[in-house]
This record gives sequence, C-alpha cells and structure tokens, in this order.
Amino acid sequence: MSQERIVLGVIGDDIHVVGNRIIQLALEESGYRVFNLRARNRPEHFYQAALEVNAQAVFVSSLNGEGEYWCSDFRKPFIDLGIPDTLLYIGGNLVVGKRDRGDVLRLFKQYGFDRVYHQEPDIGVAIADLRNDLGHGKAKR
Amino acid sequence: MLDSAGADFIPLTIDSYTRQNQYDIAAELLERSEEKQSSFLNGYPLVVHGWELTRELYRDLNKPVSLRHGTPDARLLVEVALASGIAEIEGGGLCYCIPYSEGFPLDRCLLYWQYVDRICAVHSTDEAPIHRESFGPLTATMVPPAIALAVQVVEALLAAEQGVLSFAASFGQTGSTIQDIATARVLRTLIRRYLDRFDFGHVRSYLVFHQWMGQFPTERSKAAALIACAAQNACVIGADKIVVKTVDEALGVPDPEVNADAVESVRYVFDRFRWVEPVTSTSIEAEIDLIESETVGILEAIFDLPGDVFWESVHRAFQTGLIDVPYSPHADNANRLVSMRDANGSIRIKDPGHVPISEGDLKREHGLLALREDLDGADPSFRRLLHDIGIMA
Repeated sequence: MSQERIVLGVIGDDIHVVGNRIIQLALEESGYRVFNLRARNRPEHFYQAALEVNAQAVFVSSLNGEGEYWCSDFRKPFIDLGIPDTLLYIGGNLVVGKRDRGDVLRLFKQYGFDRVYHQEPDIGVAIADLRNDLGHGKAKR
Repeated sequence: MLDSAGADFIPLTIDSYTRQNQYDIAAELLERSEEKQSSFLNGYPLVVHGWELTRELYRDLNKPVSLRHGTPDARLLVEVALASGIAEIEGGGLCYCIPYSEGFPLDRCLLYWQYVDRICAVHSTDEAPIHRESFGPLTATMVPPAIALAVQVVEALLAAEQGVLSFAASFGQTGSTIQDIATARVLRTLIRRYLDRFDFGHVRSYLVFHQWMGQFPTERSKAAALIACAAQNACVIGADKIVVKTVDEALGVPDPEVNADAVESVRYVFDRFRWVEPVTSTSIEAEIDLIESETVGILEAIFDLPGDVFWESVHRAFQTGLIDVPYSPHADNANRLVSMRDANGSIRIKDPGHVPISEGDLKREHGLLALREDLDGADPSFRRLLHDIGIMA
C-alpha cells in the first residue's frame, strides 16, 4: 500500500521550527509520508503543495497566533482547485492573547478546518484522529 | 550596573529589526518608544543611534564591549560598531545564518561575513586586535558537539584567512557535564591544530562557554541552580569566558538588575569554586575520542569538496547536508540528522543523515544510546525528543 501523504507547515511569519520538526518525525514514525513546508508560509503554499503531491491531509501550525489572520476561508481554494476533500488540521496557539477555547475551536471550524487543536500539547492526539479520519473516508466527515 | 556587578565584558545586544537590516522600522519603533516612554524594541538599534551617541554611552567605561546580535548581513552594523569603539564582534557566516534566518542565502552570508572579518582585521593591531567570536550553540537544540565543533573550526579558518588575529570559539552547555568537559577539550585542541595546519599559528584562540541556551525553567529557584551549575562547569573546563543567563530567562528580556544579579552569582561561583586540575574518567575519555573522530571526519570531508576558495566548499557542505543543524529554521538546512540523549544526558546522533559520520563512530553513538533504558519502550520517539529538548525546564 502506498503511504498516505501529509503536507505540513507553519503559517504566517512564524518561525517556530522545533515543534514543526517534531510533528514531522511523529507523522513519519506513524507511517505517513510528510511534505514539510517548514516555517513562514502563506495559505497558497499549503493548497498548492496539497495539489502537487495529492495530499490526503494538510497540517497547519501557528505558534504565535498569526493563524487567525491567515486562515480565514482556508477551505475555499481547496474547493476551487478540485480537492475539496483534503483533510484540514490546524494546531498551536491559534490566536493572540487569552480567549475562550470553545470560541477558538468554532472560529477555525468556520474557516473550514476538520480538526482544531488549540493549546493541545500532545501531537499524538491529532495523529490518532488522523488515522481515524482517513479510515472513515470522506463520506463520514 | 553590569560593570559594578563584576562583568569583564559588557554585552551590547542588537534589536531584531536591525538584525534583519530593517533600519527604518527600528527608527520608527525607537521614536515610538521615546514618545510612549516604554520600549518597543528588544535590543539596541545601533545603526539608528549611530556611532557618536554610542561612543558617548561607553565613554567612562574601562571594559571591552561585545556586540551580540544574529545578523546575516552585518556589514553596516559592524562598521558602526567599530566606529563606536566596540572591540569584540560575535557572529559568522554559518552561525549567524543557519540558526537565525529562514531564507538568507548562505553563500551571500558567507561573503558578507568575509567582509566583516576583513574590516575587523584591517582595524586590528597586534597590541589591540579587534576580537572575533563565533556562536557555537547554533540552535541550542540537540546539536551534536561534532556539528558545533566543525562549524567553529570552519569559522576560525574563514576569519584567519581574512587576517583576524584574535578568535574565540564557543559552545553551549550540552546538558551533560561529561559532554561539556569532552567538548571543551576537543574544541580547544582542534581549533589550535587546524589554525596551525593552515599557517595561522599567529592567531590567538580562546574558548567561550555559553550557559544553557535551551528552554529554561520558569521557577527562579531552579533557574538559579542551573546558572550556578553552568558556572561550575565553566570552571571545570577552564573556559576563558562565560556568557551568563538570568533567572528570568524563561520569562522574556531581563531587566538590568536581574542581569547584574546573574553576573554576581556567577562571579561568586568563580571565586569560591576554582578548579585547578583537569577532570577525567573513562567515559570522558571515550567521549573525547568520539567527538574528535567525528569532527575531524566532517572537516576533512568539507576540505575535500570542490571550490576555488574555502567558503565555496563550506557552502557546498551546507547544500549537500554535510553540515546539518538540528531544528534550524533555514529552508536549505538538510534536516536529516536526528539526535537524542543517552543515559547520562549527552547528545547522541541517532541518524546522521548526510553528515559524514564513519560507520565505527555511528556504532559507538548507537551503543551509547542503547544504554538508555526507555529506548526500547512503547513510547514513540517524538515524546522522548520533546523530553530531551526540554531537559532543563
């Protein structure tokens, strides 16, 4: 069976790379093929890469809270490009300052993300969800 | 304040906009800081302040000032620094690019630092050399000593080529005292050996120890203990200079009082716990042997790369992953090397990627890693990595 492909990267001018590298290693250890865009990405980097490598999922991180600014309507270009079923995950410190967790989760779901992890320290949670989501196929989402 | 606390060097740390050559933004934020009476800059905007004001600032100070920054293109900054009377310049083409920049082309950075080395040399005399210092901690995140040491030797040679007369190699506290002692021993030996080999015997070399540069504990009591133990390690390795952290390291940019306290506590350790005899043991000797063999292997591989001039070979070494710095933000860093800690906390190479580590050395690395108990457990390695990175926090 061919490996499932994940596009991974940090959005905005955020340069937090330690977590990015750990997520890459964790995904690879779980058997996925990772295309790591690393730090300082714009939204187009993600959907262009997803199209190019035919990715099953996109993992976006934001450590410095820039996510809110960059990710509005994140799903739309994926639909326009004909890859509407790409799984979209985002995690990190998604907004600047302290805000209600539920509000943050709702906001990013509105942006089109399938899974949102706000200040969730364990990447293992997202990987378990990924395995589950990929197993169910697009109809279940 | 640092002067009266007993510091021998007064650091001048540059703000992050100046480091990225964005002098107009630095000027704007300086203006805003003066207006609002609170600082919008995270360091001293030297280029904006200019040399006259800066020279005035240090007029009554009878100690050398050290420029600390992280600037890939430091040509103008260093010109202003030298005009200001600053006699020590930290940085280098590798150490101020790979850990500090996401996309600054390394070949340009090497050339710009060639310029910096040259102007430092031009303004040096035998009695009053402009001192150059490299930044060995790099990303300060699980960097195997051999990588850091290879970078130090390369930068010593690049500086010496341009006529620099006084050069300090440095490294960051590793998290293992055994490895600190071994790293210092090998670094001192190799810097001297390679400078002499390429006819730079006249270049004076020194050793600088950086206190823990990784994630710091947030509790001040633990941070104080870490700082004191790092000072002790600096004594044991006989460092010529130590770069001091503060108890507020985890919390942000420290204020002058906290800085002075840190210098005082390190001074206290230096005065009370002097170390006169070299410390050794079988594991230290084995570590020395391994680090030296690996570093020499990397350096000889770099020398073997094609290039009309040395920096071209160095650039190729980075492009091809012979130099691979873990957790570098730089887009061109190979990111193939994977490192982990062994049972005594020393940083081990698990997967060398394209770094030329010999089969025998890799076997030794894996042998030491295997002694760590949890390594065969069910815990996935990314959890162990997170633990290894944050070992002091």
